Amino acid sequence: MTGAASRHDVADAGAPQTSLTALELDLDVFSGPFDLLLALVLREEVDLLELQLADVVLGYLDHLERRGELDLEVATEFIVLVAALLELKSRLMLGPEDEQLLDIEPEQAAEELLARMLDARRYRAAAAHLRQLLAAEDGVRFREVPLPAQLRKTIVPAPEGSHDPALLGAAVGRLLTMPAAIDVRHIAVARVSIAERLAHLRDLLRRGSFSFNEAVAGVDRMTVAVTLFALLELYKRGEADWEQRECFGEIAVRALVSAPVDGEARTDVAATVRAADVAPRPEAPAHGDALDESHPPLAAAGTGGAR
Amino acid sequence: MSSRAGEHGLRLVGEHDEQLLALARSIEALLFLSPEPLAAGELADAARAQQQDIAAALALLGEQYAPGRRGMQLRELGGGYTLASDPASEDAARRLFSRPRVATLSPAQAETLAIVAYLQPVSRPEIARIRGVGADSATASLLDRGLIEEAGTSQFGAALYRTTVQFLKLFGLRSLDELPDVARWDPSPHEQAELRERLLRAGEARSGDSPRNA
Repeated sequence: MTGAASRHDVADAGAPQTSLTALELDLDVFSGPFDLLLALVLREEVDLLELQLADVVLGYLDHLERRGELDLEVATEFIVLVAALLELKSRLMLGPEDEQLLDIEPEQAAEELLARMLDARRYRAAAAHLRQLLAAEDGVRFREVPLPAQLRKTIVPAPEGSHDPALLGAAVGRLLTMPAAIDVRHIAVARVSIAERLAHLRDLLRRGSFSFNEAVAGVDRMTVAVTLFALLELYKRGEADWEQRECFGEIAVRALVSAPVDGEARTDVAATVRAADVAPRPEAPAHGDALDESHPPLAAAGTGGAR
Repeated sequence: MSSRAGEHGLRLVGEHDEQLLALARSIEALLFLSPEPLAAGELADAARAQQQDIAAALALLGEQYAPGRRGMQLRELGGGYTLASDPASEDAARRLFSRPRVATLSPAQAETLAIVAYLQPVSRPEIARIRGVGADSATASLLDRGLIEEAGTSQFGAALYRTTVQFLKLFGLRSLDELPDVARWDPSPHEQAELRERLLRAGEARSGDSPRNA
């Protein structure tokens, strides 16, 4: 209460016009400002039991009406104070608990206790009976499964446009599964290497010239194609040149006779090394690798030059 | 003429029996499918049959399922009919399901269940008042086992409890009416008088200056 009173003082200082000090009360047991009433109640000079708190509230409402405005701060404060007074008063009216217990006569207490004991005894016996019933039913079982959804009376239809989630799962599952490796064992892989055809062409070139048909006589289409690549390679390296007089006609291949000088040969070697590096090589040939490729042109050019 | 009428009558009886047998088979199927006891009215609605035919078919089924004839028995429990296993197969069932059909009740659970069964709907504070001790855990485990269920709230906002069909099934009761009158466990008037006297003496002994002595 003192805390509430001090808060009240603060409100008093802040806004004297609207504070509770302005609340004048005219009650049966008290006439004067509300503040003074509070102080008197706390000092027990006014008996709270004789004070009609409803009249205090009515007085405050009259006061509010006269002022014609509602200050929420003050109204809240008033409610807190009156609530505290109500609690004090209700405690005074109820009196201490032990006094009340003494009001019961021993006979009455015994009767109440007896009734409760009889109740407890009654249901303890009933409990024993229930346990007997349960024991008598021992070994009797019932189906306890819930009914399957399709057998229930109401079947909630799936909302339109909805699908079984399993469908989605299956679809994603298909996407996430690696396809089986395709079996290609039945396909015969042609093993023709450019290096092999290069060596073949260089053998032929030692004669000075030959026709392309001669170089590919009796071989399959793949070998023809690879041989053509090898010929292009020879042309690029400057080892061979060719001539075709008409479309689909005979291709005459001849070795280039101009023997390169030493300096030129060296640059040629560098060039051929690079060319060999980027040359199409479907698979590594059993004999010779990229660097080996670079040497034969020199030998070929050498032989060409010797002629 | 008379022989024809006799034949006719015979055929009718045969047809009637056939219908009754068919109805009994339908009822048997319904009882097998339903996990809950089915009332005669429910059976009549489902089978589109008259109540008296249902009764006759149930009697026929009862004969077929008489104890000792089948692995199941036709039982009237919890306000309806249901198929229950023959206790003779309990040992095998226990091995199959590896646990007893229903755990026994603790004394606290049994007392709480008895109070709910006799006084339903009853609130937990009321149960506690009668037992003299709290009933929270017993109530919770009975709820868990499906023996009692909530049935609204009291005027003071406490949850009320009542027994379930499961309770009737497990305790072999057709309805709550089969529970004996709780008054049969009351002590005799003589015992009550003695008890009262003892209580009074105890009360006086405690408060030495009670009004009677003063």
